[in-house]
Amino acid sequence: MIGWPCLDLHRGILSLRFSSSTNFRSDSNKIDLGKRGMTTSPNTQFHTLASQGRWPEAIDQLSHLPLASAIELVGGLPDEQQQALFRALPIPLAAGILSQLPYYDQYILLHTRPAIEMRRILEEMDPNERMRLFDELPEEAWTRLETEIGEFKPIVPALKQPAGERRVVSEKPAVVVLPERGRPAAEPTEAPIIQAQAVEKSFLQPDGKRIQIVAPLDLSIYPDTIIALLGASGCGKSTLLRMLSGLAQPSTGKVLWRGKPLSETAPNVAIVFQSFALFPWLTVLENVEAPLLARGVPADQRNDRALAAIETVGLKGFESAYPKELSGGMRQRVGFARALVIEPEVLFMDEPFSALDVLTAESLRGELLELWQAEKIDTKTIFIVTHNIEEAVLLADRVIVLGRYPARIRADFRLVLPRPRDHKAPQFLLYVDFIYKVMTEPDADCTPPTLREPQQKGYPLLPHAMPGGIAGLVELLADSGGEEDLYHLAERLRMEADDLLPITDAATMLDFAHLQGGDAKLTPQGKAFAEADIATRKQLFRHAALEHILLFQQIDKTLAAKSDHSIPIELFRDILDEYFPKNDVERQLEIALDWGRYCELFTYDPESERLVQIPNEDEVESEPADACS
Amino acid sequence: MIRNTRPTRFLHVPWGALPRPSRSLFFDLPVFAFGLAVLYSFVVLARYWSGPLTPQVEIDLSARALPFYAFYSVLRIFIAYLLSLAFTLVYGYIAAYNPRAERFMVPLLDILQSIPVLSFLPGVMLAMVALFPRRQLGVELGAILLIFTGQVWNMAFSFYSSLKGIPTEMREAARLYRFSWWQSFTQMELPYSVIGLVWNSMMSVAGGWFFLMACEMFVLGKRDFRLPGLGSYLQTAASAGNGRAILWGLLTMIGIIVLTDQLVWRPLIAWAQKFKFENVEALDAPRSPILNFLRRSHILSVISSKTVAPLSEALALRFVRKDEPVETSTSGSPVRKWLAWLFMAAIAVAVAYALFRSAIMISSLGFSGLKSILIGAGATFFRVNVALVLGALWTVPAGVAIGTHPKLARIAQPLAQIAASVPATALFPLVLLALIQVGGGMGVGSILLLLLGTQWYILFNVIAGASAIPTDLEEVCRIFHFNRFERCRKLILPAIFPYLLTGLVTASGGAWNASIVAEYFHLQGKTFSTIGLGALISTATDEGNSQLLLTATIVMAMIVVSVNRLVWRRLYRLASTRYRLG
Repeated sequence: MIGWPCLDLHRGILSLRFSSSTNFRSDSNKIDLGKRGMTTSPNTQFHTLASQGRWPEAIDQLSHLPLASAIELVGGLPDEQQQALFRALPIPLAAGILSQLPYYDQYILLHTRPAIEMRRILEEMDPNERMRLFDELPEEAWTRLETEIGEFKPIVPALKQPAGERRVVSEKPAVVVLPERGRPAAEPTEAPIIQAQAVEKSFLQPDGKRIQIVAPLDLSIYPDTIIALLGASGCGKSTLLRMLSGLAQPSTGKVLWRGKPLSETAPNVAIVFQSFALFPWLTVLENVEAPLLARGVPADQRNDRALAAIETVGLKGFESAYPKELSGGMRQRVGFARALVIEPEVLFMDEPFSALDVLTAESLRGELLELWQAEKIDTKTIFIVTHNIEEAVLLADRVIVLGRYPARIRADFRLVLPRPRDHKAPQFLLYVDFIYKVMTEPDADCTPPTLREPQQKGYPLLPHAMPGGIAGLVELLADSGGEEDLYHLAERLRMEADDLLPITDAATMLDFAHLQGGDAKLTPQGKAFAEADIATRKQLFRHAALEHILLFQQIDKTLAAKSDHSIPIELFRDILDEYFPKNDVERQLEIALDWGRYCELFTYDPESERLVQIPNEDEVESEPADACS
Repeated sequence: MIRNTRPTRFLHVPWGALPRPSRSLFFDLPVFAFGLAVLYSFVVLARYWSGPLTPQVEIDLSARALPFYAFYSVLRIFIAYLLSLAFTLVYGYIAAYNPRAERFMVPLLDILQSIPVLSFLPGVMLAMVALFPRRQLGVELGAILLIFTGQVWNMAFSFYSSLKGIPTEMREAARLYRFSWWQSFTQMELPYSVIGLVWNSMMSVAGGWFFLMACEMFVLGKRDFRLPGLGSYLQTAASAGNGRAILWGLLTMIGIIVLTDQLVWRPLIAWAQKFKFENVEALDAPRSPILNFLRRSHILSVISSKTVAPLSEALALRFVRKDEPVETSTSGSPVRKWLAWLFMAAIAVAVAYALFRSAIMISSLGFSGLKSILIGAGATFFRVNVALVLGALWTVPAGVAIGTHPKLARIAQPLAQIAASVPATALFPLVLLALIQVGGGMGVGSILLLLLGTQWYILFNVIAGASAIPTDLEEVCRIFHFNRFERCRKLILPAIFPYLLTGLVTASGGAWNASIVAEYFHLQGKTFSTIGLGALISTATDEGNSQLLLTATIVMAMIVVSVNRLVWRRLYRLASTRYRLG
């Protein structure tokens, strides 16, 4: 296994960084727990003890406190002191503290102790908390831990399930619950700004059928957080964003803005668009002034406020330039300025960085964070839609992962990492890996109750992947010994999850590979495919497509049954129309056509708009007349 | 003055501030003089229009009268253009935003576009004269409306499709930031459509010149209408066989067209670059000295800062929607729904009635009338297509040569542009005179006339296509030592195919429309005509035979629409899939 986490993490353990701002509470992570801890006298005393390395006394103080306070005290310590302290803790106390931490901290702190103690601490932990840890740990970390402490047999018989078999996918809860939830249900310190209640979006097809884009879901947006909404492309992220911002109305359910229905209020929100959506004929200043003009702000005030916003985003001096005279990054700054000038309470961003090159995106992200942390912008909450996992982990306090067809929440958790966040930090990578896992694992099992039965039985959506891409992936996997971590794979290919996922989906669909816990593994068929020459590959692809994909079976059967071996494409358009929205149908047909042409099953004649069977070589001799039909 | 040290690329990308208004009188005097001239001409015009009806103005063939006639013609085209613009904005806006209306407004536009302009003539003219029986205004308005029918459809189409093409995210931005109706219109919809509107305006005005002759002087049943203008001047000169007068008239017309191009269209196009929806600034953006001149005028900038700016500010603030929710889909109140239904029902009743009446009219035509229409349709169909083929035969090699040789293009393109700007109808008398000298009949003559009117569409599109052939493909041909024939077959013809097609479609529509003028002509006091649908329509207009006019028009519209649907649209699809470069 070449996957990163075990190696990197292992090295990481030596220079352990236990995040000092790890929040044990779920309120704003803008509050620095460390500082807050220093103000009270027992804290000061504790800190003195810790800084002098007087562990026995410190532990004595801890053991007299309620667990929650003890955890808060530990949280206030610098990383090295935390680790040193943990190393000295008696096992019950260590287990108690440990069970309240996020899994990466648990993992790192555990490794400050010898293997035997690790095992004892685990045994001492609350069974449910232990389950959670095992469940959340990435595969590599888990395997490593198991080799270190030996197979972990449950001691408490009440445990429903042996820990060793915990990876049965279907046992996963519908929504993965990480320790710090984004929805502080237990302590609603502040009312949510936006509240979506059972919102659902579906479209009425011309033939009267309904296609569900977003399954009914609940979502609340609280102040003082950066929320990242993740999901593969086309999964309904943008639709959800548009419903939350009031641009689109949900088909059922409602969206509340500060308790009132969104459709009856004028919510103070702004959107930063992927395509910038600037008006090219207006200057930078006029673009930024436009929302103010719409609100009837008089000219002089408009000018002042727009200039201030332009200065905030670092575009001073470019007021009279036109957007087309600016670079992509500068244009998006104008987009930011235009959004910020109305001081929105919620700032929505729809893939704001994905139209930019990597470096520009990076620096813009950094500046956005800076503005946010220094509270230079008057925005209560930022809601960012992205398909870039790293971007989400870099920015967000709370991450929501959407599943596809229709969109529903697969995971919703608080992401607690100190800022500035380091791309290479083990905790960072753990989160990235975790999200990868959530996004790649088959989502058949964890469907929250939907009102309608799923539409596409029998017609799984063909992923948007070219046969060449599939072949490339299979070869790559074969080169890596038949198995590879997905995140690592994407990293090697310099691809984002969004680009890689369709290809892995396709490979899985054709049974060339299996996905398991964030890993892609070649099947025997996949291996054969990787080693074959082009002609054989086409044959293998053909067999795989005919065996596993209903649409291909249907096309093949229909074409074989017709005397002229051709059929209007309209027929399949009609069939697919019942299962997919209009745009998807065309895309599906295009993909099917690409695949069909590649594996020489059928082709398309644009003049007659018909699918035409490609005569199979074995059959050419017996039916020579068909070759020219 | 410090030298500008910015890289040269930025020099013609002024940061909005350049060129700044100067205080020099040099820039202001011409502007001022122009304003006075416009004012004076309006006074003259008002006196003439409100004057008593003189349906048969005596046309003076002396060259001295020309400026006056030219003025009237230009004004007619201008007013017709303004009407077209207003109609375009309203029609396009409704068609784009009202899904229910869109369903019939767009096909209607398609049909209206295929109806030949002159078929509108009797109806429009009689209605207008009936409206103002005592004043010259009635006949004038009739002529203007006719020019309008020749100009408006393509503009309306352009505006409609521009509105439809506004990117979703831009629309969403406008909605989210709660732009008022007015702000959306002025900051998003109008700017987005400006470029399309400018180009289509140019085409429309050229179309106005094309039909000017027919619109300014015509016989309607027993009544003979003549308006003072360049068109009637040319037609009178042609009838009189006065070669010198024809030449003077032509020169004036060309002069006006070239001047309009320089004084109006170039500056407009240069100005419209601002509205180009693209990500990068083009390096060779069109420029216009006149535009720079206007931008430098102090008076203009003062006037605009004192009038336009405060006015637009006031308007923008007037329309502000205070604290309204973000607009989502408008479902409409029940009352509005009822009104819409009522409106639709009224239209349906009117259409049904019109259908019924026209059915009666057509049935009264009888078998012989129908037969002559069908024969005429066949003849015109043949002629139009021969003209297209002939046009393609000479324009494709010429266009490819011009398009692929920049040196040749520098000389040939401006010449071709001037040649194309002369409306073919104005050249008809000259060509016919020459034909009569040679002894050719009207049958051949009308093909020549059609060719004259439509070849330019093909030529310019071929030039555009040929100059868009990527150099790397040319290089491939050179590396493989393709001979000329192979090069044509493998590269040039496929590459220009989509462009050629566009040219042919436009030319075909134009040729059908022009057949009315080309197949039937008054010259030297005689009427020259040949068998054809166009000739039938013209005759029917002259004789006031409304059954024939209606039926022939319907047949022509049907042919044009069905040829568009059955042939051109399919070829377009082929072109956009198989022969698309890049």
